[in-house]
Amino acid sequence: MNVMLSFSLVAALALQIPHAPLSAGSEMLDPTREARVQELGKQLRCAVCQGVSIADSPASMARAQLDRVRELVAEGKSDEEIREYFVARYGEWVLLEPPAHGVNLLVWVMPGLLLLGGLFLIVNYVRSAGPRPAAEGGSAAQAPAGSDPYLDAVRAELEKE
Amino acid sequence: MKRWLPLALVALFCAALLAVFKVGFGKDPHEVPFMLKGQAAPAFNVRSLQSGERATLAQKKGHPLVINFWASWCGPCRMEHPVLEWGYRNFSSQVEFMGVIFDDTEENARQALAAQGGSSLPQYLDPNSTMAVDYGTSGVPETYFIDSDGIIRDKFVGPIDPDSLRKHIAALQQPAAAAEATK
Repeated sequence: MNVMLSFSLVAALALQIPHAPLSAGSEMLDPTREARVQELGKQLRCAVCQGVSIADSPASMARAQLDRVRELVAEGKSDEEIREYFVARYGEWVLLEPPAHGVNLLVWVMPGLLLLGGLFLIVNYVRSAGPRPAAEGGSAAQAPAGSDPYLDAVRAELEKE
Repeated sequence: MKRWLPLALVALFCAALLAVFKVGFGKDPHEVPFMLKGQAAPAFNVRSLQSGERATLAQKKGHPLVINFWASWCGPCRMEHPVLEWGYRNFSSQVEFMGVIFDDTEENARQALAAQGGSSLPQYLDPNSTMAVDYGTSGVPETYFIDSDGIIRDKFVGPIDPDSLRKHIAALQQPAAAAEATK
């Protein structure tokens, strides 16, 4: 039974993937422009992978997207224009490093705010828990007589002793 | 006043955190956004697999268009092939169909179609998958629905079923606002 199941699985897989995609792909550019292609490819998210750039993914979709980057570089488009081309189709999701505006700004700013807030709380706690200066609060013994009946009673008891 | 300041800071931080969570958790992490819905379809210039003639978007203007991106190496594409054949038989008088071969060789595409008993749909080659990326595809199969004004009304991700194909084609016959309202 298990052998039959394994055979069925292998047969199903063989039917699913009969041969690899074999489109030619675009020609490499000169080293300077090809370096730009790779650099841009590292900034763009592969649509069918998990957090991998199109420059690092072997997926056919990623290869097609990298080919498009190469074509756009060859057409003389700037880096910004190429990023905009992909954002127009896939949204900001396609950028592996989200731009710092809108809700994305919170992601950039919040760690710093959290650090500052924590620092503020610690400083505040240390200042309030430390010994108070004598001039500010004074000690209970220095309170003028008659201001607190309980304190007066304690003083009276102490004087008796 | 001073006593409330830490509390106000913590509340502000929590509100910001909730805003980030609301944006992040409301989304399917595997879903690739599609920004071209309601936008003009990008121009294309592709070669027919059957006749060798070139086809452009300008030639197709004035007719609703159903574009299916597929590949010979894609199992789900083979599964949906009979659905597209059925759709072509039933709706080719209302809409124009185009099959676009994604990231594949001409020979592989011909063999795959022959193995499935041929294709009634006009099939086109997309060297380097330029058209597929211009259309914002996130894999294959994907089917795009473009109205007679050249506006992308919607796309269907994955192997399309007869009911979805029929509904999307029916929506192409209506004005954009009415089609959205009936969804």
